[in-house]
Amino acid sequence: MAAAVELRNITKRFPGVVANDGVDFEAAEGEVHALLGENGAGKSTLSNILTGLYHPDEGEIRLWGKPVAFSSPREALEAGIGMVHQHFRLVPPFTVSENVILGDHRGEGKKFVVHPRRIERRVAELGERYRIAVDPRARVWQLSLGEQQRVEILKALYREARILILDEPTAVLTPQESASLFETLRVMADEGRTIVFISHKLHEVKAVSDRVTVLRDGRTVETVDTASATPRSLAALMVGREVSLAERVERTGDVGEPVLEVRGLSAAGDRGGDALRGLDLTVCAGEIVAIAGVAGNGQRELAETITGMRAPTHGEVVVAGNRLHGGDAREAIRAGVAHVPEDRLHTGVAPSLSIASNVVLKSYRGGEVTRGPLLRLRAIRDHALELIRRYDVRGGGPELPARQLSGGNLQKVVLAREFHGEPRVLVVASPTRGLDVGSIETVHGYLRDAASNGVGVLLISEDLDEIRALADRIAVMYEGSIVGERRGAEATVEELGLLMAGGGE
Amino acid sequence: MILAAGINDSVIVVVLASAVVYGTPLLYAALGELLAERSGVLNLGVEGMMLVGAVMGFWAVQRTGSLLIAIVVAAVAGAAMALIHAFLVVTLRANQIVSGLALTIFAGAAGLSSYLGNTLNVADEPARRTFDSFLPHSWRSAKVVGPILLDNNALVFASWGCVILVALYLNRTRLGLNLRAVGESPAAADAMGINVTAYRYAHTVAGGAFAGVGGACFSLAITPQWVDGLTSGAGWIAIALVIFAFWRPTLCIVGAYFFGAFSGIPFTFQARGILSGVPPELFQALPYVMTVVVLVLVSSAGARRRLGAPGALGTPYVREER
Amino acid sequence: MIRIERRLVQPRWLSVAVPIGTVVVAFGVMTIVLLATHHPPGHTFDRLFTTGFGGKDALNGTFVAATPLLFTGLCAAVAFRMQLFNIGGEGQLYVGAIVGAAAAIALGNHSGWVSVPAMIAAGAAGGAAFALIPGILRAFFSTNEIITSLMLNYVGALVIDYLIFDSQSYWRDTSSPTAKVFPQGKNFPDAASWPLAHAGGLLLPFGFLAGIVIAFLIWVLYTRTRFGFEVQVIGDSPRAASYAGMRTRRKILAVMALSGAIAGIGGASQDGDFRHTLDPRGLTSAGYGYAGIVIAALGRYNPFAVVVIAFLLGGLQNAGFALQGADFPSGLVGVLQGLILFCALGGELLVRYRIRFDRQVAATA
Repeated sequence: MAAAVELRNITKRFPGVVANDGVDFEAAEGEVHALLGENGAGKSTLSNILTGLYHPDEGEIRLWGKPVAFSSPREALEAGIGMVHQHFRLVPPFTVSENVILGDHRGEGKKFVVHPRRIERRVAELGERYRIAVDPRARVWQLSLGEQQRVEILKALYREARILILDEPTAVLTPQESASLFETLRVMADEGRTIVFISHKLHEVKAVSDRVTVLRDGRTVETVDTASATPRSLAALMVGREVSLAERVERTGDVGEPVLEVRGLSAAGDRGGDALRGLDLTVCAGEIVAIAGVAGNGQRELAETITGMRAPTHGEVVVAGNRLHGGDAREAIRAGVAHVPEDRLHTGVAPSLSIASNVVLKSYRGGEVTRGPLLRLRAIRDHALELIRRYDVRGGGPELPARQLSGGNLQKVVLAREFHGEPRVLVVASPTRGLDVGSIETVHGYLRDAASNGVGVLLISEDLDEIRALADRIAVMYEGSIVGERRGAEATVEELGLLMAGGGE
Repeated sequence: MILAAGINDSVIVVVLASAVVYGTPLLYAALGELLAERSGVLNLGVEGMMLVGAVMGFWAVQRTGSLLIAIVVAAVAGAAMALIHAFLVVTLRANQIVSGLALTIFAGAAGLSSYLGNTLNVADEPARRTFDSFLPHSWRSAKVVGPILLDNNALVFASWGCVILVALYLNRTRLGLNLRAVGESPAAADAMGINVTAYRYAHTVAGGAFAGVGGACFSLAITPQWVDGLTSGAGWIAIALVIFAFWRPTLCIVGAYFFGAFSGIPFTFQARGILSGVPPELFQALPYVMTVVVLVLVSSAGARRRLGAPGALGTPYVREER
Repeated sequence: MIRIERRLVQPRWLSVAVPIGTVVVAFGVMTIVLLATHHPPGHTFDRLFTTGFGGKDALNGTFVAATPLLFTGLCAAVAFRMQLFNIGGEGQLYVGAIVGAAAAIALGNHSGWVSVPAMIAAGAAGGAAFALIPGILRAFFSTNEIITSLMLNYVGALVIDYLIFDSQSYWRDTSSPTAKVFPQGKNFPDAASWPLAHAGGLLLPFGFLAGIVIAFLIWVLYTRTRFGFEVQVIGDSPRAASYAGMRTRRKILAVMALSGAIAGIGGASQDGDFRHTLDPRGLTSAGYGYAGIVIAALGRYNPFAVVVIAFLLGGLQNAGFALQGADFPSGLVGVLQGLILFCALGGELLVRYRIRFDRQVAATA
């Protein structure tokens, strides 16, 4: 098989970090080649270089043997490289057809005036052939995430991409949808296209790829044939040491009284309609309850409603026996609800303010850090230093602006702050998204500790591995309500996947 | 004949006719600002751009006697002002609000426009040529339609053409599609190979050109003289107008004439002794108060969610920022 | 190829060098403009500086010009710090002047100890109330405060005009002989004149000193109190603020009221320090509010920087006004202010980002 794309000695630096350090990579025609590495290893940067979004500081790119240099995404597209990004590059108010044709310079796109019907036909054709059908007239914001991903793939196919790069595509899919995606990729590879599949999930890489290239700390570690690798060997390459693969740790400790009771909770979504529909849920002290589900089924709204950031339309939230009025974050905080939000940088902290300021983001109203209406800046600083030490936050001192911390350290600051308030209930959403393995282990440890100390932990996550490793009970959420519950130790991926897709009980 | 004259003399018709007259500069400026905002750039310097367009257009007609050249000069002057703003916010990623205000201060009343007005010696003299109504008299005195629609100058007719062109551009052409993408999701547009920077520059500058022509409406047709601060806030009303029109060209014309009416009412009422006990300042305050009222109605959360501003309005786009 | 990347650390020296460089560049561009329009730059600048800062008379005039700028500058800084773009300082100053004048007329026969604080309080109340209109609209109806506060500037000007020119209001002078010919405002009683501080031959208006005190109080409020902490968080990230349970709506109202109150005191100062009557023409033609925005932006919303910059710009304003005439271009002040602001905005880039020049990555054979 001829080499379709070769990257030699690619180096890319950002202020303060070398994202890619002399990376070598090569993928052949007709192959599904996985790019494996933990979060922060440099996979996304590499793919952005291939698609013309970034310029490498050193090194060269060759397509089918010829050297190329892209000065813009347009050139990469014209060279036949298509990409399905992790965070979709779609225009929400546009229709599927409009998104597909956006920026295209051949055929329909070349015309000055746009004829929607011809495009719709072509989109429907492609959808049929690769089994990724979507209604070409639908507006993107109305589609589910799985459907939006199909639009991203259609965009690439419409432009006859010979090389297709997918960045963490299964994050938004149910297990069954993932399997269907893998079939589609196989079909495309058999046609002679080159598929580059970026992931940090070992079993997926095993399932879909022909070869795997492992990246660690911005460098290529090794390229192996998938058939001859095991999850364990791949993990070792990924992390550089022997690692326990997200195994369940059974905790001792009693489960106490309910600290969070949600009854018949309904809430409106941002785009009209209900995001939550009569949801019931109970979390007891010392328990870790996980909410599994594909993103977009109301998880974010659930977290917001429980923590007071969103007002419910029906139902109630009871924290340690106190019924909350709802819609008031301060009330929830006072009742003992801690919240580690999904978007840690833009919601969990004030990004330009210092670590010290962020550490007292919720506690500045009283206690040791104030004297009347005045703040005791020295006390705040000392408090921040203490937490930095205790939680091993690296990157700088208390005056450092929060946005300059790495993902893992930022999460530690948020957790440190939330734990310090001695909460009864801890709501955490996607706590380890984007973190490296070391940080993931640390965060999981903190969550288990919290539960052992009697906190009721509500874990909302899209990562089934994480859920199965941590949860005592798993509740599956679909279209705004809980459609099934399982004990953490017993749940299987198949069962959960079925529930997540709405195949109720 | 008497009956026809009667209707055409009625308050309603006169007010509507003046709505078209005063609404035209608002319409030009609003169309321009709409284009800029559709590309994601908020330009608060409209008042300044209009004034510079007004004074330079006036100067051009005094020097050359050609209205065509005057309009071109006005457009170029407005575009040049907009270029400053574009450079600051697109290339230098400055805060769009402060930059727009700076442009207003720089170019507006007691700024560059006043400086030019003085230095070029164009104050206190009437325009050598003005834009006048040119259709045959019989058309212009037709019942109702005459005074309101037909008794107008070339700038007014051209403005209608501009509305149609901008609407077609936005909704039916590839460039318009790309523009809308740039304003909604610059990341998506960039990934699809669209040059976000170029679109933002081009449409901000185009916005300035439109604003310049809008200013020239005052100095070459409505007033028609150069006076410092001639536009008295029309630029700001135009900005509010774009929001009121939900960023759609067809609604811009409705809004422009709506606000234009409120500018025309004071004169009409005073001339006819209507509500003569009411102090003139109250009438003069009407356009501004109505702008606030309309803005409040339009901004209530529901309206904004569904028919909204371009998603990326006001934020700079940086490709390589982590 | 030029690339721009964000700096990790913002070096101290840059934060000082850039504002200075800004002013230098602005003057440079101004020189070009002057040359292009046949005004001698050296001579013009020289006259500007001597009229503004050369000698005691010049400085006294500068204090007079700087006082209103100090208030409108603080007004803008206080609000902009929280990403609340109160452009209505102009109108809030007018309303403050109106209410302050009412207090002066009503209480001016009592001693200065009564009338001066009364005027300050009245001015503050008037400005705050006027600012609360866009504030309430923003807090409860999500209406953009830029346009609403701006529209109210025009309304405020019309109200002042009405009170003096088109009505027989409390503020209008109806008795004196000149008043029967030209509409004008009542002259205030003597006790309503604000005192002057004498310092080595310099005359410092009471308003200027009051402004400095207010600047200090604002600094304390914003850097040392819970209120200020919330303002910082809301200004940086409204989502984080609501996540933390902060009462954003209340803050918007409070900050707008504070902002308007400061501008309102500036209006009262115009009455009590300088004009001693409600003077529509004088107030509405001066553009204090807009200049205040420039000052606040240049000072990066720091109250002490605002004091200094207001003084400097006051000198510019003073000189510009004094020099106005056939041989000195009008509108120059606005142009210069705008240029300085443009350069400041451009300079911001240098502080936050670093510019790198790269050669294209060459393809090897």
